[in-house]
Amino acid sequence: MKLAVALVAALAFAALPLLTNSNYIMGIGVSALIFTVAAAALNLIYGYTGLLSFAQLGFWGIGGYASALTVVTFGGTFWWGLVWAAVINAAVALVVGYPTLRTNRHAFVIVTLTFALLVTMIARDWVDLTRGALGIPNLPPPVAFGYEFGTTGRFYWIAWAFSVAMLAFLYALCTSRIGRTLVAIKQNEPLVRAQGISPMPYKLASFALSAAITGAAGGVYSFHLGIIDPLFLDFYFMQTFLIIVIIGGAGSFWGVVVSGIALSALPEVLRFSADFRMIIYGLILVVVMFVMPSGVAGWLRERRLTRLREQLR
Amino acid sequence: MSAILEVTDLSKAYAGVHALDGVSFAVEAGSITGLIGPNGSGKSTAIDCISGFQKLDGGKVVLAGTDITGRAAHRIARTGLMRTFQTVRVYERLALSDNLAIAAQQFDAATWVDEFLRTRRYRDAIEASEARARRLVELIGLQRYYEAEVGILSYGQKKLVALAAALMPHPRIVVLDEPVAGVNPSRIREIEEALRQLNEAGETFLIVEHNVEFITNLCHRVVVLEQGRKLAEGTAAEIHTDSRVLEAYLGMTPEMAVAEMESRP
Repeated sequence: MKLAVALVAALAFAALPLLTNSNYIMGIGVSALIFTVAAAALNLIYGYTGLLSFAQLGFWGIGGYASALTVVTFGGTFWWGLVWAAVINAAVALVVGYPTLRTNRHAFVIVTLTFALLVTMIARDWVDLTRGALGIPNLPPPVAFGYEFGTTGRFYWIAWAFSVAMLAFLYALCTSRIGRTLVAIKQNEPLVRAQGISPMPYKLASFALSAAITGAAGGVYSFHLGIIDPLFLDFYFMQTFLIIVIIGGAGSFWGVVVSGIALSALPEVLRFSADFRMIIYGLILVVVMFVMPSGVAGWLRERRLTRLREQLR
Repeated sequence: MSAILEVTDLSKAYAGVHALDGVSFAVEAGSITGLIGPNGSGKSTAIDCISGFQKLDGGKVVLAGTDITGRAAHRIARTGLMRTFQTVRVYERLALSDNLAIAAQQFDAATWVDEFLRTRRYRDAIEASEARARRLVELIGLQRYYEAEVGILSYGQKKLVALAAALMPHPRIVVLDEPVAGVNPSRIREIEEALRQLNEAGETFLIVEHNVEFITNLCHRVVVLEQGRKLAEGTAAEIHTDSRVLEAYLGMTPEMAVAEMESRP
């Protein structure tokens, strides 16, 4: 049932370029799709495995730069750029994660935050590679079999196909025994160990996969913008991913997907009030957090549990 | 009978204080062995060392002929030793069925590739795990909660869930850390009965407990610890009348108790 709804929703999103000629609306669509993927990747490491990672911002930036540099500096294609974005990020996540995941959850938060800041500094200061604050402009549109994805309407298909593929992968992962084991590790790590499961490979794998997907998402997004500079590592992106996960309900796959689409569109929907839209947006977030401290999915779950308790009484 | 678990000369010190000082005992296959002692006698430290949750300073632990001394907890579990915890540990926000399935998943042959392709091996593993889970849930009497989140259960019921989870992968030995501490007395009977039935079906238990009555009712053999040393070992009846044990527990021997009662007006 859920999958049927998801299929219909995915097809409806595919139809967006047929319904509108507005680059503005399709641009919002691209952002919504990419941000949802990045938020779902954060949900894997934070919502499922229970490790709050600010490194996502660093992975997002590394992914953006890796794919841009693959095309501009090393003469590769956009598609190879995405592969490199994923591979480099997975490798970086393994190197950063291996020592960091041995510490406790709080230390993990601090180290990942530091990592994100470090990547920002590299983007700004390693001028020979990244061209510093000037950035890398004029990223060429992706080409496949001679077809150029040169307009926002055409690029939208790439974003759509990318997000459907990534979300399908994440869904399969999160609903598998591996996903269930990640939840178990989050809930009670000593018990997991007592049941013969070593938590470390699971944590590392979820961190690396989350990094690879975030990186590829960053790669797609940089080509959507057509330029990459250190602003690509603005904390705004991390904040957006985190808000999507928290409002949707950390640990709920569909909660985060729905909230990703909704919260990406919300600031734009509120444009009717140009002066107050960000204030209204903020108010909505505050109210949602007051009423549903564990997100929309968490709120629904609690209601279900209350009903169940009454039934069993 | 042969020993399934042999503990030799177990030693562990915290900041110079000997929590365990050369403790040796064995658990026979198919038996229920009790490990008792007053607070701070080293019972919990002993099973933490045996199950790999604490590093031991000296001694040797052999499980079914395999030396597991100093191995990581998850490797010891894979060798066939499953344990529960004093403060109950379950996956609060997962269904009872998932709690049990996770406990067994490391022990079947199905990999994630099998799962992705839904191979025969995966389906067989799931079927076997499900059948085992249903049987254990029936034994602990929680059938109607099978699909419910464990968080809604009472403390005593969670202890039963932890017991069932420990039994899921057909372990060689189950180590229970205070299975009835904090459990409603009427439920203690149920746990006792469940353990007896499981033992008759061939399961081996090592039980750490404060509740002496529970231990003496259930255990074939009892090991008594005091201040990190083995004070006594024997059948429940022998332990019951051992004056050293009574002194350690009650602070007085039967003779002293009689003398005190007689001195009362």
